[in-house]
Amino acid sequence: MNKNPINKNEMTPAAPTVPSPKADAPAVEELPVEMDRLNDLTEGNADSIRELVDLFFKQTTQQLAQLEAAVRANKADDVRRVAHSCAGASATLGMTRFVPLLRELEKQGASGALTTAVQVYEEAAREFKLIQIFLAAQLNPAAPLPGAAHS
Amino acid sequence: MKKILIIEDDQIVANVYRNKLAVEGYQTEAALDGETGLKMMRTFQPDAIVLDLILPKMSGVEVIREIRSEANFSKLPIIVFSNTYLTNLIQDAWKAGATKCVSKINCPPKALLELMRRTISGGAVSPARPTTDGAPATQSARFTSEADAEFQAELQKTFIASLPATLAALRAGLQSLIKSDTEVTRLKHIHELYRRVHAVNGNAGIAGLVQIAHLAAALEALLKELYEKPKNINTSTLRTVAATVDFLGFLFERGTRGDKQEIPPASILVVDDEVISRRAIIYALEKAQLQSISVEDPNDAFKLLSENQFDLVFLDVDMPGMTGYELCTKLRNLPLHKKTPVVFITGLSDFDNRTSSMMAGGNDFIAKPFLFIELTVKALIHVLRGKLQPAQ
Repeated sequence: MNKNPINKNEMTPAAPTVPSPKADAPAVEELPVEMDRLNDLTEGNADSIRELVDLFFKQTTQQLAQLEAAVRANKADDVRRVAHSCAGASATLGMTRFVPLLRELEKQGASGALTTAVQVYEEAAREFKLIQIFLAAQLNPAAPLPGAAHS
Repeated sequence: MKKILIIEDDQIVANVYRNKLAVEGYQTEAALDGETGLKMMRTFQPDAIVLDLILPKMSGVEVIREIRSEANFSKLPIIVFSNTYLTNLIQDAWKAGATKCVSKINCPPKALLELMRRTISGGAVSPARPTTDGAPATQSARFTSEADAEFQAELQKTFIASLPATLAALRAGLQSLIKSDTEVTRLKHIHELYRRVHAVNGNAGIAGLVQIAHLAAALEALLKELYEKPKNINTSTLRTVAATVDFLGFLFERGTRGDKQEIPPASILVVDDEVISRRAIIYALEKAQLQSISVEDPNDAFKLLSENQFDLVFLDVDMPGMTGYELCTKLRNLPLHKKTPVVFITGLSDFDNRTSSMMAGGNDFIAKPFLFIELTVKALIHVLRGKLQPAQ
């Protein structure tokens, strides 16, 4: 069973939060991560965000390795299954540019025709690296996050 | 005499709190928006401020920042009324310098009075209500308690009498929203509905109708999210808004019936093979103080379902070994779960294709990636409906 920390009649002050970068970012280009979702999911607690981001990095690193293997071996159903799972987690955390690439891989996997899957996979892998760099800078500008260096 | 300034855009709520504090010997003033409140603060020189965070013209957080920027008021106690479901807003209020944050859901006038006594020392001067000089303390306490109960009963009566008109206005607002054909009009109707639901939350909270206040607070947070991030307006979220207004109608009809005005404890099962999605669902449930058990393997879930009663089940659709649809079909054969509400979590692209879900015995859908507050609202509706309106 889970604990219920919220909804006390008198609420308590929040832990230090990770600022949303939107105000300082260029307006035209979509950021790789919607920080509001991460902040919402963790109630802005910086430690919780780091823990969740680390989990995401580890899981996605494994999934991208599985995707690459499946794409190169032309195993369409494996591509569909792994891309679907990876897209779900990424969408939940607000990885806005990464998700459409995974959805495309899922779609090609479901159709059985991995026509441009290699290129889409490579683009997804590049986007994941950008996400790692972006989040490492957001969460701790001085040092990279554990797991952020390898992908 | 201690002076309290109330900054609250709902005149009924402001008057109720103001009257209660005045009766207890405080000098009070009320402002209906932030700008007026700041002007009044400089002339009235209050000992404390009661502030609603959702205000027209200037937000409650901006008001706090302004107050804190003035040397005379940098230490002034500010008691903030907020919506428990708007966690980011509450964080902003703390950062801006709020002294206390209180949930509107469960803050009848008596609770505010007690909070005020704890917040500002010295309290009020001789209460304006009649007293019995020389009476034993217990008699005085009984008088106070009876007066509070009468006051609260009168508030409930007035609120309940207004509910048919409130429901009609909510339904009209919903119809206007559904019929909107441009983003501009859609946002306008979402904002109007949001303001109406905000008022329901405040009024139900002071009347002590906690279930209505809870659901209204959750819907208010969902509407705020849709207004601020219109890209999240889709078939799923609009359907959730409509279902919530509909269920508020059911709660309105119930009025004060039922022995307890609270969210009943519920047992919820979450089945999703992906850990981050599971965590998001659990988090969304915790927003409403709903407890859950989560499992990643649908076979483990079926075992749990075979042996335990659950009040609500969330199922991912695409899972290895057994799909959510298959698990739902199986659980419907269990005597314990013939009527248990099942909500499928599915991709938005599949959202309009409901046949598989209905065939499998599902009750509802939510589109991935879901808004956390949307899932919270759905869970509240299903749990309350199950407890208050058991299946025939």
